[in-house]
Amino acid sequence: MSGPMRPATGEETISFTFDGTTYQARPGDTLAAALLANGIGLVGRSFKYHRPRGIMTAGIEEPNALVTVGTGGRAEPNTRATDVFVYPGMVATSQNRWPSLSLDVASIFGLAAPALGAGFYYKTFFGPAKHWLRYEGFIRRAAGLGNAPTEADPDNFSQTAGFCDVLVVGSGPAGLKAALEAAEAGSSVMLVEQDAAPGGSLLRDPDPAMDPAVMIAQIKALGGKVLLRTTASGYWDHNFLTLTQRLAEPGAVPTHGFAQRLWHVRAGRVILATGLIERPVPFANNDHPGVMLSQAVRSYVRRWRVLPGKRVVIATNNDDAYLTAEALVEAGAEVVALLDARASGPAAPAGVTVHHDARPASVTGRKHGLRKVTAVIGGSEQSFDADLIAVSGGFVPVSHLHMQAGGKLTWNEEAQAFIPGETPQACETVGSALNPPPAPAVAPAGKAKKSFVDFQNDVSLADIDLAWQEGYRSVEHLKRYTTLGMATDQGKTSNMVALSRLAEKQRVTVPEAGLTTFRPPFTPVTMGLLAGAGARNAGAHVRRIPLHGLHEKHDPIWQPLGYWFRPRAYPVNGESLAEASMREARTVRTVAGLSDVSTLGKFEVSGPDAAALLELVCATTVGKLAIGRGRYTFMCREDGIVFDDGTVWRLAENRYLMTSSTGGADRMAGHLSYVRNSLRPDLKCSVVNVQEHYAGIALAGPRARAILASLIGSEPPRHMGYAPATLAGVPVHVLAASYSGERAFEIHVEASHAAAVWQAIDAATRAEGGAPYGLEAMELLRIEKGHVVVGGEVDGRSTPHDLGLGGMLNKAGGFIGAAGLTRPALSAPGRNNLVGLVSLDGPIPEGGMLIQRAGQSPQGHVTAAARRILEGGAIALALLEDGHKRHGEELIVSSPTRGEKARVRVTSPHFYDPAGERYRD
Amino acid sequence: MILPGNAIVTDATSIIALPAAPLHALEIWSNPEAVAKRVQKALGFALPPMNRSAGNAATTLLRFEPTVWLVEGDTSVLADTLGDDGALTAIGGGVVRMRLAGPHWRELLLEGGVFDTSAAAFPVGATAATIIDHVGVRLHAQSDEACIAYVPSSYAEGLHHFWEAALPLLGA
Repeated sequence: MSGPMRPATGEETISFTFDGTTYQARPGDTLAAALLANGIGLVGRSFKYHRPRGIMTAGIEEPNALVTVGTGGRAEPNTRATDVFVYPGMVATSQNRWPSLSLDVASIFGLAAPALGAGFYYKTFFGPAKHWLRYEGFIRRAAGLGNAPTEADPDNFSQTAGFCDVLVVGSGPAGLKAALEAAEAGSSVMLVEQDAAPGGSLLRDPDPAMDPAVMIAQIKALGGKVLLRTTASGYWDHNFLTLTQRLAEPGAVPTHGFAQRLWHVRAGRVILATGLIERPVPFANNDHPGVMLSQAVRSYVRRWRVLPGKRVVIATNNDDAYLTAEALVEAGAEVVALLDARASGPAAPAGVTVHHDARPASVTGRKHGLRKVTAVIGGSEQSFDADLIAVSGGFVPVSHLHMQAGGKLTWNEEAQAFIPGETPQACETVGSALNPPPAPAVAPAGKAKKSFVDFQNDVSLADIDLAWQEGYRSVEHLKRYTTLGMATDQGKTSNMVALSRLAEKQRVTVPEAGLTTFRPPFTPVTMGLLAGAGARNAGAHVRRIPLHGLHEKHDPIWQPLGYWFRPRAYPVNGESLAEASMREARTVRTVAGLSDVSTLGKFEVSGPDAAALLELVCATTVGKLAIGRGRYTFMCREDGIVFDDGTVWRLAENRYLMTSSTGGADRMAGHLSYVRNSLRPDLKCSVVNVQEHYAGIALAGPRARAILASLIGSEPPRHMGYAPATLAGVPVHVLAASYSGERAFEIHVEASHAAAVWQAIDAATRAEGGAPYGLEAMELLRIEKGHVVVGGEVDGRSTPHDLGLGGMLNKAGGFIGAAGLTRPALSAPGRNNLVGLVSLDGPIPEGGMLIQRAGQSPQGHVTAAARRILEGGAIALALLEDGHKRHGEELIVSSPTRGEKARVRVTSPHFYDPAGERYRD
Repeated sequence: MILPGNAIVTDATSIIALPAAPLHALEIWSNPEAVAKRVQKALGFALPPMNRSAGNAATTLLRFEPTVWLVEGDTSVLADTLGDDGALTAIGGGVVRMRLAGPHWRELLLEGGVFDTSAAAFPVGATAATIIDHVGVRLHAQSDEACIAYVPSSYAEGLHHFWEAALPLLGA
């Protein structure tokens, strides 16, 4: 191939670049069509041997012409040049070559091909591991396809639901007809087409009786939805299909910011009109630029008015390739020979010489095309000067979606192809995929080593033979040993040729040799599309607390906590996190501090049986609480393990408020629903999740009582008391509970009124010399007090006894987990118990393991570490084997991963005010 | 299209956060038929069945669960009708009401959604508890032109942004 392959017509052109050179395309051109029009036949390098590769097909099955399209974060590697439409300014780059596509140093691997055959990669694992380390880097650098972009993708990806009575996949003649019939029958129809234009094979072989544009307009007029550039990539259970829609071409700036859309479609019935894929023909050097599939050649000639070659040999085993001869002759090319493997065929166009019993044996080429085609005709070799060979080895029905739907395949001997059979879902295949044209099996001519079967993985006939020779009999083993049918094309052009070879080796029929399974996706799907909107925010929306805006004014350090963001500390004057949190904790210990605890789980339980439900959920006694009183509680799983803790408050005769941990709030909501609706649906009570209804503000410290009294105009409730009040003109619940170890209150207020309440408490607290405190200070305070935290000490393995909470258990039993707790293993020696640790030297590494001496197996681990707030010195909470009995013992905390150690003494976990005197006024 | 009175109305779909309103969870745990009669007498309309709504100028009831209704508006006459057969619990502080209005609100709800929002499957007056982009949301098809989404407050800003970003895709 040399020079432009498309006559100038004066039509509008589009500029694009390939490997830095600017070319012109016409609107509607695929990149492949545009490259061929510009005389470019060499497009890429092969995966393993770096052999020169060109354009083989005109569709999504392309194994060779893979390029990177776009730049920066928009770059999309491994894009098929046959499946991307040129747009102004498109930047396309070839892959897997260095320093250039024309001069690729790594093509030297082709010379080493005899040593790099099937199983080469696996064989590198033979021998000592250190050998692998020697060549690992080299192999990884040498092999591969395109490189993933290193920058973030700037575009958005949509995920949307779709519903229809009938989903038609494919807009070829059969798909258009099926969709129109369904629409006319009153069904809601979705028609999806992976191409940018409807018509399928009609774009290559027009039918005067069928105008795709007219039929599409009719379908739309009847309410049908037509999605172009949309691929049905997955077929799942219950007629649920995933469609991938390109809203912008790869690398292009999307009009509305969205590059692609993933459709989740639930269809009443699915009609698959997916057509056929043409099979290549194995012969020596059949991977060289200038070897193309026959129908692809016809597509370039008729759809894009591009002549991929001027002197063309056609090789076929079926009638369809004769149409390609017609198209080429019409377009002015010279068909120098038509090699038909059969003994007879239809009439050829005038001037075309047909050779029967003829098969291609080899080709030789130049950079962008062929030089010579050698054929075996009637047992004799004959060569032809040609720049292109158009091959057709028969057709493979596109049955991938049918098989994903659980459908069976049946063997069509005449066509040498599997066709869709029975399916368990409401799905049918129509059109050519059910009726592939006859194409007899043909024994390949030419050297097996250079006769490629899987072009994307450089698998040749010789590789299949070698796998057989080495004992790989199953088609599944053959696939994995040779890498046949893997990579981005998933063997669309290679599987049947390889199966034929395997069957020949086994001396069985192709169906007896077996078939690998087609799995989703049908064509590659980008990671961004799967992530959808979640690509921007780690998979979920950030949950904002009601007072987010107020906190933001103080420029806190934010802490992600589940999906929530909470202030971790409020640094002032350039403080570090450690400095700020220690200052805040000291302020709480000496004056007062306020903190946002809005994210706590909160549940209102009301009704005559509210107490009965709570007695079931809580492992402590809560049913006898007086109105206006509350208590600390914890909840067990049915196996007796603690899974959450919180408080219960009796607000009125038949109304309670239960709080639980932030991290466990959703789990607690599910648990309560299970208890209420499944275990005790008979109870006369209501459980309502009010986590977001109420914002929560903790006020803690020796001045907290006085501050609150001044704000509500009355004496606040004593410790573990409840009182309704009005603060800043807003009704609030005042709960006298403490997590910090100081006299403290939780003020819960309807979230929409929380700002006024926070501001009032904040102003009053600051006036006393107090300050807001964040999560980090809260952690220092609770560690010093010895309070457990869910996810730390409450680790899904600890019983109430392990945590020192056994004395609080409801002795009457009846709570969830009571039976589980009687299991002997839960009271056996050797369980991890909650203890405190006091450092005898430096800081205690959090997460460190507890040992008596170096080299010993760990006897426990540190769950949380801190410094004493007022006194100084390092302390920690830990879970230690039989820890309750080991107070006073000296141990080593070792963190090998951090290279840190500390000597510690085991103590009670209550470092601060163990008698709780600071709660009392 | 320009309407009289200088108001300019486009065919664009809009998302507006409505002012906070009283919202309550109404749960009935016993004597449902008797309670239903009492409620109908007090409100002037019957408790709506599953996935439906009913209301008057002051109060709207929306049913999302077998025994629970969402009550929007005035509940003053309801509390006395329940007796020991049910309870009202305020939840309005944790919910943001968003009005999705315009010709494409049904299409907008398909974005990140999982259920059929077509008029045939989700007619005017219907309610649904569903997820939108993994966020639990309750919906009320208020009219052919608008739907009210009851969104957890913590997710309201994120979901509002999610819907705003999707607007250019509508009608495509």
